[in-house]
Amino acid sequence: MEHKFEEGLRLLQLHFIGKILAGFTHEIKNYLAIIKESAGLMEDLIKLGKASESDSGQNLEIIHSIEEQIEKANTLFRYLNRFAHRMDIQFATFNVNESLEELAALVTRFANQKKISIEKDFHEAIPPVYSNPSLLQFVVYSALEEKIRNLDKNSKIAIQTGVDENSVRIRIVPEGNFVQGEGDTTSISYKILEKIVMQLGGNILQESGRETLIMLPLTNS
Amino acid sequence: MPHMRLLLVDDEVEFTLALAERLQLRKYDVRTAGSALEALALIKEQLPDVIILDLKIPGMDGIETLKTIKKIDPEIEVIMLTGHGDVKSVEEGIKSGAFEYIMKPVDIEELIVKINKALAKKNKEQ
Amino acid sequence: MDRRFNDLLKVLFHPHDYFKILSRDRYKSLKIRIVLLDAMISLVPLIIVVTISYFWFQSILKEDFRNQVKWQIENTEQSIEYFIDEKVSALRFLASSYSYEQLSDQKMLTDIFSKFEKEFTGLVDLGLIDSNGIQQAYAGPYPLTGKDYSNQEWFNEIVVRNVYVSDVFMGYRRLPHFAIAVKKQCPEKGTFCILRATIDMKILKRFASAINLRENDDAFILNHEGILQTPSRFYGDVLNKFKLPVLPTQRGVSVVDVKELDGGPAIFGYVPIRKSPWILVAVIKSNPYLRIPKIFRNELLLISILSIVISVVMTFLMAQTVVNRIKKADQEIEDAMAKTEQTSKLASIGRLAAGVAHEINNPLAIINEKAGLMKDILEVSDSLEQNKEKFLSLINGIAESVNRCRTITHRLLGFSRQMEISHETVDINDTVKEVISFLDKEILYRNIRLELNLQNNLPKVTTDKGQVQQVFLNIINNAIDAVKEEGYITVSSHIKDNHFVRVAIKDNGVGIPKENLKHIFEPFYSTKEKGKGTGLGLSISYGIMQKLGGTILVESEVNKGTTFIIEVPVNTMEVSKGGL
Repeated sequence: MEHKFEEGLRLLQLHFIGKILAGFTHEIKNYLAIIKESAGLMEDLIKLGKASESDSGQNLEIIHSIEEQIEKANTLFRYLNRFAHRMDIQFATFNVNESLEELAALVTRFANQKKISIEKDFHEAIPPVYSNPSLLQFVVYSALEEKIRNLDKNSKIAIQTGVDENSVRIRIVPEGNFVQGEGDTTSISYKILEKIVMQLGGNILQESGRETLIMLPLTNS
Repeated sequence: MPHMRLLLVDDEVEFTLALAERLQLRKYDVRTAGSALEALALIKEQLPDVIILDLKIPGMDGIETLKTIKKIDPEIEVIMLTGHGDVKSVEEGIKSGAFEYIMKPVDIEELIVKINKALAKKNKEQ
Repeated sequence: MDRRFNDLLKVLFHPHDYFKILSRDRYKSLKIRIVLLDAMISLVPLIIVVTISYFWFQSILKEDFRNQVKWQIENTEQSIEYFIDEKVSALRFLASSYSYEQLSDQKMLTDIFSKFEKEFTGLVDLGLIDSNGIQQAYAGPYPLTGKDYSNQEWFNEIVVRNVYVSDVFMGYRRLPHFAIAVKKQCPEKGTFCILRATIDMKILKRFASAINLRENDDAFILNHEGILQTPSRFYGDVLNKFKLPVLPTQRGVSVVDVKELDGGPAIFGYVPIRKSPWILVAVIKSNPYLRIPKIFRNELLLISILSIVISVVMTFLMAQTVVNRIKKADQEIEDAMAKTEQTSKLASIGRLAAGVAHEINNPLAIINEKAGLMKDILEVSDSLEQNKEKFLSLINGIAESVNRCRTITHRLLGFSRQMEISHETVDINDTVKEVISFLDKEILYRNIRLELNLQNNLPKVTTDKGQVQQVFLNIINNAIDAVKEEGYITVSSHIKDNHFVRVAIKDNGVGIPKENLKHIFEPFYSTKEKGKGTGLGLSISYGIMQKLGGTILVESEVNKGTTFIIEVPVNTMEVSKGGL
């Protein structure tokens, strides 16, 4: 039945990516919308003759806001680019912090819907690991998603990375009240996540309502 | 004032015009080209000091264009314009003689710094 | 865990479901075909060889048997001929050793007879007959002295020839005998005489019996007129006429097959015995050569059956192995294809997303520069009035670029939608009515009678409304195409059970033939004329329903109509309820 598992896994991955992309595009669209509105506003101001010297400050503000949106969009696109390139090859040597940074950026929107903040607490000098970056992102996303779904509003989830003797550790730590939530239930059971992490060469410890710990072995280079 | 001739090469006209205007406000002498051929023609007409070159232009390959420019006058400094994920092109560009690179969308302050560096280098060598 | 996982998969789209529909019976029929073909190939030559061997063997045995019969007859013939030769020689010797006077002397003859008798087996009497046919002297048990043989045929014969062997005749005391006579020239008398000896038929019988006979067999001696010279078992006693017409004799042994003799086939062997009036005959009805083949046949049958059984079993095992290998290989290919498809799908999505990210650089850069320029202008000159036009044009440029960005990112959205399922609460009945309203004009135009039988308190369903609509649209459209003008379509909805709601679309159109039914959900399968319809509609609808956790069923009868049943899960996500 292994191949069936593989197939299923791929499908779930695709599903996950679909969600990421969808969320991402909505976010970008928001930025673009703001830019457009701002430009429109300026246009209106100028046309209505309200843009006089004293109001150049306002225009500057508007321009500033446009530039901000551009910056945000650009950043998000950078993350998207990184995220997308992780799908090029299956296994690679990569920096866990970077891959989690992308993921965090791309799922912020989902978390924000419930006003749950995602905090990144990365160990700076994290050594590279040899694993499947795209799949790892999928696993972390699954753990995140479950917690986002079941946490109360205005809670917090911290993504922490650290090292010990022989592995890189990723902790997904929820802080807040756990409430059995409704909604999107394409969650996968713990057992399945376990299996996937084993394929990645690591281990996962998880408990409902508590932190999820993923351990990946260091590469012996 | 002298030795501050810039050539912007990018096929996005809106972009080059706006950027050229901005640079002109900052007292640079800027011309624009929309393709490699155009760029080479302008270069032959009048040698610029620094060229800001988008690697993905139609016609000649960006790197090829870079090499050709360097052949025409090795002292012209080239700053590459890149997008996300063009790491390989950047590496190759640097190998082929590019001075620096900057990512789009361009932070004008950053660009100015790089242009000045390039000019300084050029003037030094003269 | 695996089952829930699999249920989960039902929710998501799996293109290889198409191929799985097709291949279910393939392997069984392949197996059967291999076994039959192999069995035929290995058994037919076996059967041919066995049959040929059997008949060949039987014919050899038969031939062998016939040869045996032939040789026995031949041997017996030679024995009899030798016997006759011997006796004739003995008589001749006697005739030449004694003179007429001696031989015609009664006492002398008797004396010779008694001496002769000891050596001469079967000798009954001895007589001397003069040239007139009168028996001058006689030694033996019967009172035959003076008997006149002049009228007898044998006498006349021996006058001409020098030796005579007679047929068996009934002599005195009703005992069968035959006689051997030799002519003796008597020069002193100027004439001849005949020395005649009578021999008991039993001697002949002994010879005939020497032939190896089985129960139904018979061997005897006939004369050329078909009179039995020795008693036979089945064909009468001595001196009876043999029933069968005696066949034309030729020298040497003849062995003939007779089809019908006393209720069955027989081998008829005969040989004329030289220098005698006799024919040695053997009638063989037994078929010992058949008995052996019977044993042979039993053994053969046993071996054949054993071979067949072993052969079939081996073939079956082999077919099983081969087909399983094929199945496995096919499975591996399918898996590899699926895997490649998925991983390449992953990679291609990656490329698509990366492509979008790259492309967006330019329009973003444009917005950036234009906004920056506006900023610059403002910083340089406080008065906006002079640059009003410029600003408006810059703002315009920004708006255009924003649109460009939107278009580029929208591509991403379109693609990601394929991988997502939206979940909304849907009223199936409303959805059905909506879809029908799309097709109102068509239905009216064709004068089709449409009946709605929607169950009243159908539970609301959590699924993707747009996709379900697409499916309903496809199938109702098909129904419209299937009925001719003035046809009749019924759309009904009802609860199947806690988990599923069913929508049935029934038409009284042309129907779908049974052989086609299993193919209709295949991609590109279409019975419409070329140019009408891509054949993709049903396959896509099937795929959509599978993805949503439901299915489509179909029943049809040619010229009676078709019913499609669309099964929608009450909760598309229900499969993983409580799914931690």
